[in-house]
This record gives sequence, structure tokens and C-alpha cells, in this order.
Amino acid sequence: MRRIVITGMGGICALGHNVPDIWQAMTEGRSGIAPLQHFDASLMRGNPVGAEIADFEPLAFIEEAKLPFLDPLSQYALVAAGEAIRQAGLDFRNERTARTAVVVGTGAAGEETRDGLYRKLYAEKSGRFHPLGIVRIMSSAPCSHISMAHGITGPTFTVASACASSNHAFAQAAMMIRAGLVDTAVVGGTEACITPGVMQAWEAMRVLAPDTCRPFSANRRGLVLGEGAAMFVLETLESAQARGATILAELAGAGMSADAGDIAAPSDVGAAAAMQAALNDAGMQPGEIDYINAHGTGTAANDSTETRAIHTVFGEHAHRLAVTSTKPMHGHALGAAGALEMLAVIGALRHGIVPPTLNYVAPDPACDLDYVPHEARAMNVRAALSNSFAFGGLNAVVVVRQAS
Amino acid sequence: MSQVQQEVFEIISKQAKIDIGTIKLESTLKDLGIASLDAIEVIFDIEEHFNINLPNDDVNFESGTVGDLIGAVERQLAQKPADS
Repeated sequence: MRRIVITGMGGICALGHNVPDIWQAMTEGRSGIAPLQHFDASLMRGNPVGAEIADFEPLAFIEEAKLPFLDPLSQYALVAAGEAIRQAGLDFRNERTARTAVVVGTGAAGEETRDGLYRKLYAEKSGRFHPLGIVRIMSSAPCSHISMAHGITGPTFTVASACASSNHAFAQAAMMIRAGLVDTAVVGGTEACITPGVMQAWEAMRVLAPDTCRPFSANRRGLVLGEGAAMFVLETLESAQARGATILAELAGAGMSADAGDIAAPSDVGAAAAMQAALNDAGMQPGEIDYINAHGTGTAANDSTETRAIHTVFGEHAHRLAVTSTKPMHGHALGAAGALEMLAVIGALRHGIVPPTLNYVAPDPACDLDYVPHEARAMNVRAALSNSFAFGGLNAVVVVRQAS
Repeated sequence: MSQVQQEVFEIISKQAKIDIGTIKLESTLKDLGIASLDAIEVIFDIEEHFNINLPNDDVNFESGTVGDLIGAVERQLAQKPADS
């Protein structure tokens, strides 16, 4: 079987506009969560918070003539893909172009554009819409723009599975490389969901924390939404070695499952099935894993359910794992979550530092693992799991290990 | 039974498809088999029916009882201007 390695990564989120800044913030345990700035949230209950991208100047990354075509959803994707492809040192204006895929996970779509058009229609009673609405809103716009910007002509599509979109995207890209369909893939996720309409809809479900995100902690009160994108260059080990590329990590396997249960409530059985499938796919034993970047949303239901699933799969080894949720730092970026969290996983593998779980106040008997509260931990991480479990019971888990 | 209590019982009975006679003031929504999004929907139906907003702190799905919920509705109704 072809081995797959990661040779480039890029990212933008509330912690920074590039991977070095984001990783620095993760190791320092900084949080990007703050009162909402993007819009007036006075119609919402309480004082809503979010992990918004601050001080973003698109013109620093994207030429002016392109901007009218781009919702922030695509802007973030382009920023992250550009950084990843530069780091990989790849050029696609050759025979590699048709043998490269672009797979992008996204849970929503161009929500800022959508909100703006609907405001015109329903509030301002104007039917004169900007003509580029559709091409900004469509959830496939980010992968199209990555393909156009870099001249990539292989299989290119969006994967949507709500909060598991990015991890499903990694799985699709990896399967295409293994099948020999392509040799390289640009893969990740993007989300720009902090808009009045989306926030109000999340608020109505009463799962947004009024204060902050406290995964696995007693008194956790829900999730905090975030936004951003992270993208990665995957290629075969052979391809990376042939061109002398720096290998950041190996994508060892992926596992997917569906709960076939509830449209919102999580299932430990489905989550455990995805983790076990990922280990099987990688041909690895539970004892070879040192770190899990958890889904860890900070809702009462997710964190206890995920803890039970980890016990099921890891048995005795569960208590030797470091299990952290980085969502208190970058927020829950929905379709981009797994991609942003992959930055934490690769950082842990490369630098021997596990980013902490912030805002932990006290143990919850239903969450009894080592969540590395408050401060990052220096420890060798040979291999790690990255968990994503979506509404509607869609689960996807990726296994990544140190480059050997 | 107060008017508010009667109406809340009817909303719960309709949403959860349970006999109104089985609902007690001391029942939690969980006791009545109303969990997850169904519970959120019950709260929403109550908000729409009375045209009020129930703060998150007033709706505890684990331990809050139907009686607590009625108390929260009555507090919100008491704060509403008479003409609305």
C-alpha cells in the first residue's frame, strides 16, 4: 500500500494568520475567544462570544481583482492553501497538475454573502442582488478557487459532513492517493460561520456557552463557535523522497462511521467504531498512540460520550493517553475543525509539545482521562488520533504519526 | 390549576405525544422521556406560545422540573408590558 506523508501546512484562525503564529499560541495556551466583533449581537441571549479572526487584511494575501468573487469562506481557504503549497515547495504547472486532487471540508457555505443578500430582500425590500452572490455562496467555491489559483486539474470537490467535514476530506484524499488515482492532494477545511443568521440558529439550540468553552470540565456549558481554515499537502512517501521534501508527518490511516441514531445527540458506539476503524486502517495498536486531539466541544453530552468511546477503544491504555481539546483556543470551526486541529496534532508530533485543554475548572466524574489542563506538556508523541464527530452521527477519525 | 400551568402542560403533552394526565409538577422533562432536541423544541414552543424569551439559566434539562419551568414562564410574563 502507498504510504502518505504531509509535506505542507497552512492555517488561519482566531490564533493567527499563519501556522507559526497559530502553533505559538497553542503552545502558550492562548485563547482566541472574545465578545463578538463582526456584528451587533444584541438580539441574542446573554453575551455571546466567539473565536473570530481579527485584523485580517485580505489584500495582503489575495489580489484585488479576485476579491469580489470571494466570500471569507474562500478567502480563508486560499490563505491556508497558499501557505501549505509554499511550504511543500510544489509547483503544479507541469505533469503533476492532473495527478493532484483538491478536497475541502466545509459545513456551511458563504454565510456572510447569504446573510447580506437576505438582509436586502427581507429587511430593505430590495430585489437588486449583487450578481456574484451564487458564486460566493456555493460551498464548493473554496476548492474551485484553490484549483484556479494553483492550476490544479485533478479531482476537486467539497466534502460536507457538518463538524466532521475536514476529517472526511482527509479520508477521501488519502483513499484517492492509495488507489493510485492521484499522487498529491491539497486537503483541509474552511468555515466562515460567525454571521448573525448562523449564530442565531446555533443559539436557538441552546448549545452555545455563555462564558467560554470548558471541554471535559465540571460546569461546562456548551461550545463556542470559531472560524478559519487549515490546508495540507499530502503526497506519496515516494514522491516526497524523490524531490527531497521535508516530511512533516505521515497520515497513517482514517476511519469513518455513522451512528444511525439521533440527528443531534452523540453516540459512544459510533465514535468508538470510527476510532477503531482508523487504527485498523493504519494497522496500529491502541498502545502505539500517545495523544488524542479530541472532538471535545465543551457540551455536556459530547465530552462524556467521547470519554466513554475512548475507554472502549483504548482499554487500559486510555489513562496513559494525553487527551486534549484545542477548541477553547480556536473555537469550534465546524467544517474546518478537523483541519485546524490537525495543526495541533502535527505540532505535537514534530515538537514534542501537547497543546493544553484550557478553561478546565474541576473534574467531572464522567470525564476521567488526562486532559492536560491549562498548560502545554512536553512529551514525545509517536502517533496521534484526531477525532471529529458531527451532528447527525457522522464520525471521522484520522491517525497521524511521526515521519520515520 | 393555573391558566399558565394548563397551557404548559398542553404544550408538553402535544410535543411529547404523552397523556396530559401523566405530567406532574415535579416531573423533569427527562422523566417524561423528552430529551435532546425534543426538549429544546418544547422550550421553543412555550416561548412562541407566550411570546417570551426564557434565559438558559431557567431551563435545566437534567434536574429542572415542569414546576420550575412554569415558574420561569410566570416570571417572564410578569416582566412583560401589559399591552404586548
